Amino acid sequence: MASTTAESKAKKLEQTNPDYNPDVVVETQNLSKVYRDFWGRQKVRALNALDLDVRKGEIFGLLGPNGSGKSTTIKLLLGLLFPTSGRALVFGKDTTEVTKNERIGYLPEESYLYRYLNAEETLDFYGRLFDMPAKVRKERSRQLIEKVGLAHARRRQLREYSKGMVRRIGLAQALINDPDLIMLDEPTSGLDPLGTREMKDLILELKEQGKTIIMCSHLLADVQDVCDRIAILYQGELKELGRVDSLLKVTDETQVRVKNLPEAAMKEIRDVIQKHGGELLSTENPRTTLEELFLDIVRESQQRPGHRSERARK
Amino acid sequence: MVVESFPNVLNWLFSGLFTFLALVISGGVLGIIFGFLVASFRHGPIEGFYSVAGVLASAPGDFLGTSYRRTWAISRLAVKEALRRRVILVTFLIFASMLLFSGWFLTNVEHPERVYVNFVMFGTQLLVLLVGLLISAFSLPEDIKNHTIFTVVTKPVRATEIVIGRILGFGIVVTGLLLLMGIVSYIFVWRGLSHTHQVAGDRQAISSLSEINPDQRLNSRGGRVSDNAVQWGETTFDDGHRHDIELIEDVRNPSSHPPLNSENILESYTRADGKVVYRRVMVQPSSGHTHSANVSGSGESATIELGNSAGYFRARRPIYSAGLDCFDSSGTLGGTNIGKEWNYRSFIDGGTPAVPETLSRAEFNFENLTRKQFPDGESLVIEMTPSIFRTFVGDIQKRVIASLQFESIPEDPETEPKLQSEPMILETREMTIQSIPISDRMNARRIAPDGTILESGIYGLFEDFAGGKGNRLKVILRCEDLNQYIGVARADLYFRGQDDVFWWNFVKGYLGLWAQMMVVVSIGVALSTFLSTPVTILGSLVIFLIGFCTPFIRKMLAPTAEGTGPEGGGPIESFLRIIRQENMVSALETNWFNTVIVKTDELILVGLNSLTYLAPSFSDLDFSRYLTYGYSISNDRIMVAILIALAFFAGSSLIGYFTLKTREIAGNT
Repeated sequence: MASTTAESKAKKLEQTNPDYNPDVVVETQNLSKVYRDFWGRQKVRALNALDLDVRKGEIFGLLGPNGSGKSTTIKLLLGLLFPTSGRALVFGKDTTEVTKNERIGYLPEESYLYRYLNAEETLDFYGRLFDMPAKVRKERSRQLIEKVGLAHARRRQLREYSKGMVRRIGLAQALINDPDLIMLDEPTSGLDPLGTREMKDLILELKEQGKTIIMCSHLLADVQDVCDRIAILYQGELKELGRVDSLLKVTDETQVRVKNLPEAAMKEIRDVIQKHGGELLSTENPRTTLEELFLDIVRESQQRPGHRSERARK
Repeated sequence: MVVESFPNVLNWLFSGLFTFLALVISGGVLGIIFGFLVASFRHGPIEGFYSVAGVLASAPGDFLGTSYRRTWAISRLAVKEALRRRVILVTFLIFASMLLFSGWFLTNVEHPERVYVNFVMFGTQLLVLLVGLLISAFSLPEDIKNHTIFTVVTKPVRATEIVIGRILGFGIVVTGLLLLMGIVSYIFVWRGLSHTHQVAGDRQAISSLSEINPDQRLNSRGGRVSDNAVQWGETTFDDGHRHDIELIEDVRNPSSHPPLNSENILESYTRADGKVVYRRVMVQPSSGHTHSANVSGSGESATIELGNSAGYFRARRPIYSAGLDCFDSSGTLGGTNIGKEWNYRSFIDGGTPAVPETLSRAEFNFENLTRKQFPDGESLVIEMTPSIFRTFVGDIQKRVIASLQFESIPEDPETEPKLQSEPMILETREMTIQSIPISDRMNARRIAPDGTILESGIYGLFEDFAGGKGNRLKVILRCEDLNQYIGVARADLYFRGQDDVFWWNFVKGYLGLWAQMMVVVSIGVALSTFLSTPVTILGSLVIFLIGFCTPFIRKMLAPTAEGTGPEGGGPIESFLRIIRQENMVSALETNWFNTVIVKTDELILVGLNSLTYLAPSFSDLDFSRYLTYGYSISNDRIMVAILIALAFFAGSSLIGYFTLKTREIAGNT
């Protein structure tokens, strides 16, 4: 019943909005945000002409140092901020449209939850906000509390929780409505290594269920592990956008890794390489780490402000 | 008690709805213009137009999409927040400690019930309104500051739900608080006032009373005793007062009265003429109450035991006239000007030695007067609270004499005769509620329109006087003392109907407080959608200050009797008068310039007057004086108060919705 209405809604959207592509979950066009003071004077340009789209079923990472516009982008997508110019569409709808939130889950940077509620009450409250009937709410809360490993603390007020526990219940509330699009703002911040691992596993599990995930982070290892595509932002500008595997591929190097190769064959290979003036490392395309790529881009941007990364143009 | 308005809920609803719609529409237009100006300043006129149009276009969807479950979720959250932050507990403890120590100060006054009721009502009002203001002003700005609102507005929650849910939630919290305080107050007043006395003297017996000299009819303190009293005594002095105790002889005709059976009867015997004499112990009222007396035993050694205090808690139900007409000495409508600036009461004169014949009178026109409105088997009572204006003091003990006369109101006074009763002479009393027992059958004459007396006899008040269409009746009050004046307002003379139940009246008084509190919460939440906590509190306080002064402000803006505007004209005219150094009363020259000014002033005054409706008129919502003085609060008043609360709830929800909708939640934080 619910799915048919969702389908019919999607159909209606396709008919009314010719640009609507059901595979594109999030789309921004020339999206800019300028923070102003009370008198309308410009304080800071937080985001400048961002164009990107996020496709259905992918994990999209927003990367950048502090103050680069990651959180601003997410807040613009959620309608918490209004764009200064350009526009953003989520599920083909304007971001100020409240009904889009029915299919979105959001884990904020810090879990902004009511500290005087306990875990069950928190999930029950957010469940009610999705107009969920009591039975569904109860069942869903129970599942999620177990999933994030808080069953032992379900009746304790959040003010008594550790940071990691608050993070977990924050994630649970983001998933209460079984969303199609999940936005995670620094999902692993405040988690211990074990928690970080669990969070990453969960993100991959959600992807397997066909969910679309947008996460922003400055913890590069996390992004490298889970993201399909990333965008790197620096001072409000898009510096890099692409698939993680292709971005990290070093095209001018070849890596060969072999097991149980006789010394003679090895020698032959070395000779061949030497004959061609090369130096053997291994026979695979090696990967740089995302950390190196990121630092490169930041350094380059600092030297040549206002330009897209050299590498991106190659 | 001063009563200036006599609302009828249907009339009020009609004009109130009109004012409300006018304010909503003009507010809406101003809001759109303001929004467009701000948006075009930020993004240019075309973008500005689209953003304003976008907000307006999404409003109907948001209102229709408002869900009961989400609103209730927000309300529950608000209640939980208040409970877990112990707001109710702390407030209640403050109130309880206030009551604990107040007992020291509330005794030894003439009307302790007034002081008690006034005290608890005022304490409750102060605390409840303060709590309502604080929790509503803190909640939303706090949520925005802590960013907890982020996790709420990223759910499919409409701005309407956030605003309405909060108002309802805080409404529930403060209603609970009000209920708690109301119950405790009721018990406190009840317990605080209940007391008993003992009979003064060594023995609690009839022998403690002393004989009354039948010639003087004075007690040993020099006070007057009742006409049928034979013995007199007094109670002990407790709680700042004492009562007179009288042994009276109640003579009854056994053929017309059933035998009397009461705890206070000492003995009874049949007189030679066949009438039965009951000797009863009566406790005379003092400081607003009396006690029952319980006599056991017989003869001199019969003991007297006084019961608990009774009669403190009343809810008189006045049946007011539909209109009051005052006539001056020449018989023209309007009463006599005695130079008092306050025009609540009109004065009638009693003539002068030179012209003793005066036509001055006050005519109270009653409508829909039927026997059903009065208690069965008890005598009819007219109560009066006149104001006396003396041109000479004379003997200050001697009271000003007035007369009451009853008249029927024929449908066509030109052709039909009217009934007119004999005038009833009475002494007026000031500073107190004067009860005048009247008979429902009275001597009267039927008078033709040309003044000839058609017949005379005894006529029934309800059947003959008020028996016509609309059950109308005229009560005419005259001043019968030369050179003295009596001032009356519509509320100063009324028939006393069947009393209301006191506890129900108490509930109604608290309904008034509830309406005030809902208004406060609504305004607080609406302002907190776009202001920070301190500014919200300040803004609300300013609105309430205006609300407490609305009668004064409206009077200031209202036209005077002579001209079209206040004394000295409206704002522009009075400004020009100051510049030109003209006085306030001389008329302006008639030229086009002055006409334009006067007309503009009229428009400004109408605008300013309608602005006063933006602030809640607390005088329409405050019923504490009805409880204090023991008057029943009419249902119309309660309905009007609830409608006012609803209007503020609706208006605040609208304002809150649009400000929250157009506010960048994550901006500037």
